[in-house]
Amino acid sequence: MIAGGASSAAPRPQRRLMTEVPAAVTLHGVKKAFPLGNGRTLDALNIEHWAVSAGSCTVLTGPSGSGKTTLLNLIAGVSLPTAGTIAVHDTDISVLPEPRRDRFRAHHIGYVFQTFNLLSAFTALENVMLSMMFADAIPKPEQRRRAGEILARLGLAARLSHKPQQLSRGEQQRVAIARALANRPPLILADEPCASLDASTAREVLDELLSVCREAGTTLLVVSHESAVLAAGDQVIDITTINRPEYRVRFVERV
Amino acid sequence: MTILMVALKYLRGRFVASALTSLSVALGVSLVVASVLLSRGIQQGFIEGTTDYSLLVGAKGSPTQLVLNVVFRMDVPTPNISYSTYGQLRDDPRVEVAVPVAMGDAYQGYRYVATTGGYFAAFPWRRKTFAISEGRFFRDDPPEQPMYEAMLGADAARLTGLRVGDRFHEGEEMAEYPMTVVGILRSTNSADDRAIFFSLASYWEMNEVSRKMKVKPLTAVLVRPKRMSDLAGLHRGFNLTAETQAVFPSAVLLNIFNVLGLVDELVTIILAFVVLLVLLYLFVSMYSATLERKREIATMRALGARRATILGIVLLESCALAVIGGALEPVVFGGVVALGALAGLLPAVLAYRTEVAENLAPLS
Repeated sequence: MIAGGASSAAPRPQRRLMTEVPAAVTLHGVKKAFPLGNGRTLDALNIEHWAVSAGSCTVLTGPSGSGKTTLLNLIAGVSLPTAGTIAVHDTDISVLPEPRRDRFRAHHIGYVFQTFNLLSAFTALENVMLSMMFADAIPKPEQRRRAGEILARLGLAARLSHKPQQLSRGEQQRVAIARALANRPPLILADEPCASLDASTAREVLDELLSVCREAGTTLLVVSHESAVLAAGDQVIDITTINRPEYRVRFVERV
Repeated sequence: MTILMVALKYLRGRFVASALTSLSVALGVSLVVASVLLSRGIQQGFIEGTTDYSLLVGAKGSPTQLVLNVVFRMDVPTPNISYSTYGQLRDDPRVEVAVPVAMGDAYQGYRYVATTGGYFAAFPWRRKTFAISEGRFFRDDPPEQPMYEAMLGADAARLTGLRVGDRFHEGEEMAEYPMTVVGILRSTNSADDRAIFFSLASYWEMNEVSRKMKVKPLTAVLVRPKRMSDLAGLHRGFNLTAETQAVFPSAVLLNIFNVLGLVDELVTIILAFVVLLVLLYLFVSMYSATLERKREIATMRALGARRATILGIVLLESCALAVIGGALEPVVFGGVVALGALAGLLPAVLAYRTEVAENLAPLS
């Protein structure tokens, strides 16, 4: 039922990807270091080159602490690299001033979290509409209808006016997916989207996510450990194969 | 969806905290407004009660006591002056109006004030006006035939329960000469509301019956000169005599206000603390709401909300709290909203500065 489910876990040569299909995300010489205080820094990321082909479903895996979420946050533009460029559909987001980066994210990137992160004061419908409000791309009278449509597509037609706490975990993650899709972004980032769900629900939610993305030709970049997710991806990348931080903890010489 | 709707949703989401915060704002504001109105009312009452007449002539002694006694019916009554002082003033060519006043006993604590119809006359320069709410004014009866007609101030009538036509007396010896209520005044918001007025003839007769007094005493004479330039001359003249003193009520009042000014300052300081307390409460409420919401804020940012949008939501929220609180106090509405915005500013900035990547994780 899932195309490409049988693809190997080994990363394909990246250069070939670059030339064959246009890239949704391209990283060049990206480094990310976190200050630890006392003049020490933690090198979390050092990626020379990496690209995600447009329209694909790429699964990013690797041990915890290997920089997967850090990488997602960099691609989403919620944090900035210490060095290097990050292009999302030919836009180098690392050089955009913050308000424009926010705007770009609202229009071009949908984010799905492990813990759903729905806003508890708002109904399912409002959670989706909030996303539209931030992007301000869909006319106001359209927003309610559109949000309803997306939720209905994910099987939540009867749950529109329910608050997150009135929904099951699977339903909550579906609302979060609907929210990520609200502005029809070309790229969706999902950080462990199934880790908080039981196996069968995880399977259902994953299928929904994959099918809506395929339908719309949306690029999907998923961070996951789960075998079901690994099996579903067009390609699976172990982050340790592309990320080679110089030192885990480095002492910066003080002048 | 608009950011105002988002802010209101958030407020509704923590209804009890929002309601309590609004209530505390409303209470604080009410306290401030009430105190300001009250102190303004007290000053106004003082000024309106005194400034119609520019000179007060009474017995030698303390000027403050004379003003407090004659105008506000407070303090110990001053000694009497003779009726001839009134005649002298009435016939003085520099005097436009002179009104004799005699003060004596009280009925159930409401001071007897004997005077003439002149006390209630509506002169063009008078700020204070008297109007009858029931019955009529008492008659200025001739000295030999006292009518014992009484007219009650609004509070005196209300609190003694006396109505037009009722008879009353104070002291056993007056039982044979009861007073008859002929009129009740409208409220003037001054000490006159607590007075019982009647004619000088009735007053003197009462003194004769109860104290076997044969003289015809007065407490003071209220004077309005024709020209303000004559005021100093009149003032000097009546201070030179052995029996009388003349005082400027407004000057005496100024002295009293100077003493009250200290109290006023203290009240202002207390009110400032009340305002501070309300702001602090509003601030703490918004601050904890923002802290609780760090993850939601980070999520909104990850969905593409700009810092300015988040700032707007938190500011609108604290403004809305202030609006709801201030709505109960329309007088100072604008000020409360401005203060509310101020109290919300720091939490809003905190929300504005929320780091997205650090707060998206479930454990933070």
